[in-house]
Amino acid sequence: MKFTLDNIDGQLVGIAELEGRLDARNSKPLQKTFLEWLEKTPLVVFDCSLLDFIDSSGLGAIVGCLRNALEKEGDVRLAGLNEKVGMVFELTQAKRLFSIFANRGEAASSFAVKPDPGTGR
Amino acid sequence: MKTILAFREEEFAWSHEVFSCVHPLLLPLCNKPFIEFLIDFAILVGSTAVRILCDGGINPIERYCEDGSRWGIALSYGSLHGDDTAETLLGKNRKFCGEERIMIVSGFSFIRYDKRLNYKSLAGSLPEGEWAACPGGSITLSGAPEKPPADGAATPLSLMPLDGMASYYRASMEALETGADRYVLPGYGGEPGCAIGRNVVISKSAQIRKPVSIGNNVQLLGDTIIGPSAIIGSNVIIDRESSVESSIVLDNTYIGEQLEVIGRIASGNRLNDPRSGASISMEDPHLLGSIKKSQTLSALPRKVAHALAALVMISVLAVPFLFLWPLLKLGGRWRSAQIDCHSENPGETISLGKVELDATNALGATASTLSLDRYFRLFRVLTAELALIGSTPLPAEEPHPNAPANALAYRPGVFSYAEAEQWPATGGDAAIVERYHLVHSGPISDIGLVVKAFVNRPHEKSSA
Repeated sequence: MKFTLDNIDGQLVGIAELEGRLDARNSKPLQKTFLEWLEKTPLVVFDCSLLDFIDSSGLGAIVGCLRNALEKEGDVRLAGLNEKVGMVFELTQAKRLFSIFANRGEAASSFAVKPDPGTGR
Repeated sequence: MKTILAFREEEFAWSHEVFSCVHPLLLPLCNKPFIEFLIDFAILVGSTAVRILCDGGINPIERYCEDGSRWGIALSYGSLHGDDTAETLLGKNRKFCGEERIMIVSGFSFIRYDKRLNYKSLAGSLPEGEWAACPGGSITLSGAPEKPPADGAATPLSLMPLDGMASYYRASMEALETGADRYVLPGYGGEPGCAIGRNVVISKSAQIRKPVSIGNNVQLLGDTIIGPSAIIGSNVIIDRESSVESSIVLDNTYIGEQLEVIGRIASGNRLNDPRSGASISMEDPHLLGSIKKSQTLSALPRKVAHALAALVMISVLAVPFLFLWPLLKLGGRWRSAQIDCHSENPGETISLGKVELDATNALGATASTLSLDRYFRLFRVLTAELALIGSTPLPAEEPHPNAPANALAYRPGVFSYAEAEQWPATGGDAAIVERYHLVHSGPISDIGLVVKAFVNRPHEKSSA
């Protein structure tokens, strides 16, 4: 799992690349590593473009990461879900929990602070 | 009129990949095998005999359709070469064709027809040649018309090629939506758009939204939502709080809890998206799983435990049996008959002795209390023909919804799990209790249940 930090309009956004399979074998390490990432930033994008397979324990791990991020007033956003992985998110209704974007760039930009239309700031 | 149904492997090769558990010609469309739609149509046009030709394996079709007596027609089977034209097929099957008019249905295509229309008269009057066609499929008539052509006769049928998952999904949904008006579809239903098979358990909190078609041996657990436009196959469990909408759940599939299946085809542990063609095999039984006959049923430890326990019972009961049996037999209080029952293996039967014991006197009551009427059956446990405890043996002479061909689990036993749990020995509840224990019980718990059944039987008789 590769993790990089990006500065998007002054917001520090973490981008984690998930690769291959996310199942019972590696879901626990993901949750553990995620806590370390959270210390750097609570705004995280999971780039799933290289993720081939996910099962319910992997899904549980991602939902667990989201819960941890929300507790720190952050968010986990997903990017680049392929059709197979997307089907699991649809089937389990987990799609409703996440903001999902076509690619990591869009997902990271979505964390940019939007200027307040009233104050212009 | 006679009909030739001709199929080539290349036409349905896609189906082997997506639905590997079922022969493509038996692929269910709205819970009815594809081949049956064609046979129905052949009957509608007045065919008395149908010959099924294929350039690949056809044994599963032969086993399923047999000689066609189920439909009141003669069915025969043969092979063809991939390049055979209609003329070649007629030449190669000259003996089958004889002098009659022949309809050749070629290709893996869904025929859109309407059972209310008179195709017999139409097929008899149409000129020789192509009747309907689509890419990869056609219906051709051969031989002189039997009647003069009717003026302005329209062709109220068309073909839809089944060339992939998307067209299979479309055809299934079309059959569901047009429903029993156009096709002969399986299941029972008090109202249009809702067909439900046998042995379906629907939780009180489950919702069914038309149109739906539900197969046999289905369990819809609490708060499930089925439909609209849902086709649920046979031997399916939809676990609690899940919804299935605009989707097909094929036979032997388990849908886990709190899932939402919309616009998908679920087959065993495989989830398919008919629009994109994407398909994922779930390795996670909590989401999607395939339901198979429990391997533990035939597991060696269980059989050994049953045989040892049966041996103990044979030894212990030998003395009272040898003392009471001759006396009861001579007194006319022990009457026995042989009945054929379904065996554990589908299609096979076993002959079992059924004893009627007059328990009105002390000897009969003692024999009944000791279950001596089942004594001879204990020996069948040693040969593994019966389990010591299992399902109530089902008589083979009458069709039964829990017969092995339909049931998820069935293994006839000397005692039944329903007797152990004091359920009535017949009925759907008893079947569910038996199925539960067949799948979930083990060698040790089986012995405990035998003791319970042994103790409960006299109590059951005295309270009856």
